[in-house]
Amino acid sequence: MAFLEINDVSKIFGQAVAVNNFNLQVDKGELVSFLGPSGCGKTTTLRMVAGFEVPTTGRIVINGEDITYKPPNQRDVGMVFQAYALFPNMNVAGNIGFGLKIAKKPRKEIDQRVKELLTIIHMDEYGDRYPYQLSGGQQQRVALARALALSPQVLLLDEPLSALDAKIRVSLRAEIRSIQRQLGITAIYVTHDQEEALSLSDRVVVMNGGNMEQVGSPFEIYNFPKTEFVAQFVGLLNSTKAEVVDPASNRLKLDGQQVQTAESLGEYHAGDQVVVAIRPERLSFTTEGVKPNVLDCTIENITFLGAIVRITVKVGQYNLFMDTFNNPFLELPKIGDRAQITCSREAVLVVK
Amino acid sequence: MKGRGKIWAWFFIILGILYFFLPLIATFLFSLRAKLGVLSFQAYANVFNDPKFIRSFTASLLWATLTILVGIMLFVPTAYWVRLKVPKARTAVEFITLIPFVVPAIVYVFGLVRTYSQPPLLIVDSPVLLIAAYTILSMPYMYRAVDIGLRSIDVRTLTEAAQSLGAGWGTILFRVIIPNIRVSILNGAFLSFAIVMGEYILAQYLVKPAFAPYMAGLMQNKAYEPAALAVISFALTWACMGIIQVVGRGQQGQIAGGH
Amino acid sequence: MTVLDAVKRDALTARPAPSKRSWAWLGVMPFFLFTFLFLLYPASTIVIRSFQNSTTGAFTLQNILTLFKNPYILGAYKISIQISLITSVGGAIFGFLLAYAAIRGGLPVFMRVSLLTFCGVASNFAGVPLAFAFIALLSPTGMLIGWMRAFGYNPYFHGFTLYTFWGLSLVYMYFQFPLMVLIIAPAIDGMRREWLEASQNLGATTAQYWRHVAFPILLPSLLGTTILLFGNAFGAFATAQALTGGQINLVTIVIGSQLRGDVLGDQGLGYALALGMVVVMALAIAGYTLLQRRTERWLR
Repeated sequence: MAFLEINDVSKIFGQAVAVNNFNLQVDKGELVSFLGPSGCGKTTTLRMVAGFEVPTTGRIVINGEDITYKPPNQRDVGMVFQAYALFPNMNVAGNIGFGLKIAKKPRKEIDQRVKELLTIIHMDEYGDRYPYQLSGGQQQRVALARALALSPQVLLLDEPLSALDAKIRVSLRAEIRSIQRQLGITAIYVTHDQEEALSLSDRVVVMNGGNMEQVGSPFEIYNFPKTEFVAQFVGLLNSTKAEVVDPASNRLKLDGQQVQTAESLGEYHAGDQVVVAIRPERLSFTTEGVKPNVLDCTIENITFLGAIVRITVKVGQYNLFMDTFNNPFLELPKIGDRAQITCSREAVLVVK
Repeated sequence: MKGRGKIWAWFFIILGILYFFLPLIATFLFSLRAKLGVLSFQAYANVFNDPKFIRSFTASLLWATLTILVGIMLFVPTAYWVRLKVPKARTAVEFITLIPFVVPAIVYVFGLVRTYSQPPLLIVDSPVLLIAAYTILSMPYMYRAVDIGLRSIDVRTLTEAAQSLGAGWGTILFRVIIPNIRVSILNGAFLSFAIVMGEYILAQYLVKPAFAPYMAGLMQNKAYEPAALAVISFALTWACMGIIQVVGRGQQGQIAGGH
Repeated sequence: MTVLDAVKRDALTARPAPSKRSWAWLGVMPFFLFTFLFLLYPASTIVIRSFQNSTTGAFTLQNILTLFKNPYILGAYKISIQISLITSVGGAIFGFLLAYAAIRGGLPVFMRVSLLTFCGVASNFAGVPLAFAFIALLSPTGMLIGWMRAFGYNPYFHGFTLYTFWGLSLVYMYFQFPLMVLIIAPAIDGMRREWLEASQNLGATTAQYWRHVAFPILLPSLLGTTILLFGNAFGAFATAQALTGGQINLVTIVIGSQLRGDVLGDQGLGYALALGMVVVMALAIAGYTLLQRRTERWLR
């Protein structure tokens, strides 16, 4: 039995289905992300685990205990809010120790625990500061410490980094992950930023319109997306229509040019229209080596992004992105040139 | 908690509504009782036919209009100039504009009368003093309204643009700045209007005809006419505030004086 | 004139060169002159003459000291402070409850807008017309009294009367509540829903939330506005005069009488009294401003 179980949970507001049949088993110590665009239901699901919303159907079980209808102040979960939600009338120590004060713990114990947590978040000297004196990143760390103070069974994070600058986001998310690992605490992390989800999580749940699209490790959902939405949402993707030529030999026709995929096309018939997806980094020029699939194209655009050079090529009616590592001494074709791009069979994904 | 809390909320709201509306209803009903046994607008007719009412009311209208004009002519250029050229004067000017908050009207008129009722400054009987006093009284609201308006437009850039097109100071003020803070000026104007129309203390002690002293005088020996006046007064205040809401788009002002 | 000329000219006029600083101050002279003549000078008259012996003109602290000894004046201060205290605390409490009910009480949305609009008007509806409105309601022939008499109960037979301290307090509330509502509404709006949720998440009940989080956050605002309300009531004149004809001896009423004739027997006392009023008001506004600033800092 998993540590956190979300079983057949749905949430309906009036006529709108916010969350549809959500099922997840989370192991102890695992960090699972809920990833999706605004309105996909990820925050609503999180709030149901926290107790701020009550599921219309389904059950939520933590460590064997059914907490579906328990009020939020009686659950053993800690929540970190998007807008930090630090209490402005208390200093950092007061905020962190608030849960312990409510639980009527002795003064010494509270002070001790606050000190521990300040060290964990690397803010030892900040106990006396007030929230308005802290930067956004500092406030969020205090919010994290506050949520961890009661040693909750599950840690819930609701887009904790979306209000912060890009640079701080990157360093803070590494810190959050490291603390989570260090404490071995089970965590659910809601975000719309797929880079965050991929870098932080043990597993990712991709959601769309209230539905679970796919659950898997970051590696799985990036490299083997099961639906078109997942393929589009996670990472940059080229997607085109293609026609099945011969299901037995896994051959397709992409706007007149032949392409072979490694996926089984057994369920299709010749002439079927499918959607084909190829990650930009899996394409290369034939001058670098020839792989099973070769496509003729013309160079539309070359964008220098720093470590990566993104080349837009036109294959038939489609514009495809091609990513290649920056190499100052590599000669790239010019805009307007004709070229040949190539990729392996495994790089051609067929998505529903 | 939600369900129980709602009941308390309704309780207090209804209590509040009763407290606010009962006096108004009572006043209105009372004003309709001039004719024995019958509800009529007789009291209003009496009021409108009273030459003293016309004199007092038009006097107040006059004071209010003049106050607004003086206010605009004094405060708009000042606020503009402070913002543009003399930012160092800002603290002093703002401090001065807030002094009327600290000095209750009765104390203010006390000082005015004592200061200006002896030669050589014997102007206590002059309407000039009344207008000036009203302008001072409305200063916190008028100046603040204008200042807020100026804050929301880029005064420096507009001025420089106008100058680069050949405009002189007068043109800049009247054809560039003022039209752009029209809303704020109107806001301040209507607040000032409401203040002056309802003002009792200054008019009474500087012995000038005005609406509020007239009404107070009427209260001594008439019953129904003051009620009609109260209704008129309230309607007037409502109208001013309503216009401010519509025109001012939320820039609101509360008046904590003149009572 | 060419564009170059225009550019040259505004290079000289648009940016104030240091040497032109003294000329720029000329532009604010009308304002300073006006306020000096009609505000600062009369105000200073009060201050200076408070410290002057009214017959000899010599400097003296006697006027101020007498304020604290003259029983008539002490009585006036006592009543003024009493009514200000009662209507400020009462106005603050009821105004807060009203504002909270309208904003967070789960009522239909139009309630909030209506309440705020109405309070905007009601906070200005003071003085003579307000006094009369309450006379129409609660005088011996008032509407409410009439209703109660229809049920066989006449409050006037039981000692109630409008024209006393308590009646005046009731009338004062009419502009005190709305002022409280208007000022506290933004503070209530600033109470973020996440604070309640965060406190619940940490195990607090709603009562504990109020005790440890909500009230402490709102307290500076509540306190500051109460102080403002105090000053508001303290300086009120027209309402009291219109309602009671000057019978209740508030400090403001005494000053009014002093204007008509020297009721205190010493001109200097009148000035000292006026000065005392200004001091009280200044303290009130200062207290309010300080506390509001604290609130704004937290609620940023």
